[in-house]
Amino acid sequence: MYRATADQHEEPRSRTGGPVRTVRVWDPFVRIFHWTLVAAVAVAAATGLLADAPWIDVHVWAGTVMAGLVAARVVWGFLGPGSARFAGFVVGPRAVLAHLRELRTGTAGRHLGHNPLGALMVLALLAAAAGLALTGVVAYGGVLKAGPLAFTTGYTDGRAVLEVHELLAYFLLALIALHVAGVVFESRRSHENLARAMVTGRKPARPDDHLPAARPARPVAAAALALATLGIAAAGLGTLAARPPLGVPTAALDPAYAAECAACHVAYHPSLLPRASWTALFDGLDDHFGEDASLDPATTGRLRAWALANAAEAYDTKAANRLRAVEPAAPFTITGTRFWQRTHADIPDSVFAGSAVVSKGNCEACHADARAGRFYPGNIRIPAPTESHP
Amino acid sequence: MTRILAALAVAAALAAGTALAAGPRDTLLAGYVAEAGAPASAARGEAFFKATHSGGKPDTASCTACHTADPRSAGRTRAGKPIEPMAVSVSPDRFTDPAKVEKWFRRNCNSVLGRECTAAEKADVVAWLTGQ
Ligand code: HEC
Ligand code: HEC
Ligand code: HEC
Repeated sequence: MYRATADQHEEPRSRTGGPVRTVRVWDPFVRIFHWTLVAAVAVAAATGLLADAPWIDVHVWAGTVMAGLVAARVVWGFLGPGSARFAGFVVGPRAVLAHLRELRTGTAGRHLGHNPLGALMVLALLAAAAGLALTGVVAYGGVLKAGPLAFTTGYTDGRAVLEVHELLAYFLLALIALHVAGVVFESRRSHENLARAMVTGRKPARPDDHLPAARPARPVAAAALALATLGIAAAGLGTLAARPPLGVPTAALDPAYAAECAACHVAYHPSLLPRASWTALFDGLDDHFGEDASLDPATTGRLRAWALANAAEAYDTKAANRLRAVEPAAPFTITGTRFWQRTHADIPDSVFAGSAVVSKGNCEACHADARAGRFYPGNIRIPAPTESHP
Repeated sequence: MTRILAALAVAAALAAGTALAAGPRDTLLAGYVAEAGAPASAARGEAFFKATHSGGKPDTASCTACHTADPRSAGRTRAGKPIEPMAVSVSPDRFTDPAKVEKWFRRNCNSVLGRECTAAEKADVVAWLTGQ
């Protein structure tokens, strides 16, 4: 049972030297939630906006933790104590305007819990985080063909939603900046350290405080509801994530292709070039990048048909989508496409030339799933230069 | 020494005839020798293999461009993939699959010389590498 006034005690010392009566404002869940959310959003923002593509798994984990926290906070918003409950702090527009007016005239009192503007911010932050999680799942499924929506989301849709995801990310960062500014402003105005209160949970008690409506928390019901939601969500999302992703190659390479076309380099997955490119490549095998790579006509015909059936047009991976147009200057060179060069621009030439990679075309040295045509960024690992060539 | 050994091997293979040949490599070599109408020479094969030729594609003027000059060490394709050594003592499977041998002679001779290799050139190269 939570009552703001029932939990006052003497703190050993205060700014003025005398003892200060403090009152508990933030319950442990809200405080843990707040700082874990800070950590999860920081990791998600750093890996999403600053880090290279191989950090995707960390990014997705951070986003998942964020989504779980938001869901738990919503449950607590209905079953938590007064200062945590939506009903305890969410007020209508009239109250917000009144608060603004009081701020202007300097007559606004102190709110022990969220003040009306702070309440708006809490809702905006929760909504932005939820929106990021939702758009993240769609983009992850459509673009990278992973996660619970990979089985049904097309690349084009995923790309579009990814744009929204990015905009939302900047929106959330802007909200966070405003939130911090608001905390600084309100801390000064009410002569207290609000950030510290979110750590200790306590604020000095003052006679003219606006107290949140006292309501009993229902921690057992909240935990049961949160656990049930978590269990159902994990099971449901796990089942969906286990379905075969849309437009991702599943068949192994044709054995003759894997033998003949891996004699001089790795066997490039046919989804990495469009049909027109494969036609031109198979038409010119007797002068293939300055070498005769010709095969007997029967084998050439069979491999050509197989490559055409499995060309970029047949798949929906990011690589297939980005490599689907013929590059006029290098009609069948994957490493000659603008997409490939832009994606690999940050990797120094010395890495490609090093003993562990040897050449730009040796996709398998860095992409563990290259042979399968997947190219999921979480499967990228640049080998150390001393590792021997496989 | 190698020359004598190779000549002996060729002579033995020819004398035994294909039916009694010791294995597919001997059969292959005997076939090239018969087609060339002259005995194979390991020394000629070595010189051919290590020479710089003209008429082929600019990046591959010699067999050694990919196979290196030492047949017992591994080579490397232009795309960077390792190639097993060519010497039979190190890679016992060499020249045992006639279709494979023919495919690579056709390709590599075309890349290096701009033409197919003659039966005599093939016999010489196989004779040299078999003794290595
Ligand atoms: C005789 C050797 C040889 C064979 C056999 C061969 N290639 Fe190549 N291939 C090369 C070389 C050399 C390059 C150029 C690589 C470089 O510059 O690093 C190349 C490049 C390529 C590229 C462009 C790679 C890039 O950098 O983007 C593709 C695609 C390709 N080959 C497909 C094939 C296919 C399909 C087959 C089978 C029909 C095949 N190759 C067989 C030698 C070969
Ligand atoms: C030296 C290691 C290395 C080699 C070799 C290499 N890549 Fe990559 N590749 C990377 C790295 C690192 C990234 C991530 C770049 C970034 O941060 O966006 C990447 C990204 C990609 C992506 C985008 C993945 C995504 O979803 O963001 C594709 C597609 C790709 N590579 C294809 C290829 C192909 C095809 C080849 C061979 C022709 C190849 N790579 C060779 C290291 C390599
Ligand atoms: C551009 C690189 C390159 C050049 C130049 C080259 N080869 Fe090769 N060669 C290869 C590759 C790759 C293979 C197949 C890989 C393997 O068998 O290990 C091969 C295989 C062979 C084989 C088949 C061996 C067997 O196991 O049956 C013969 C014979 C051969 N080469 C002879 C030659 C001769 C003779 C020359 C010079 C005229 C030459 N090569 C030049 C790359 C080259």
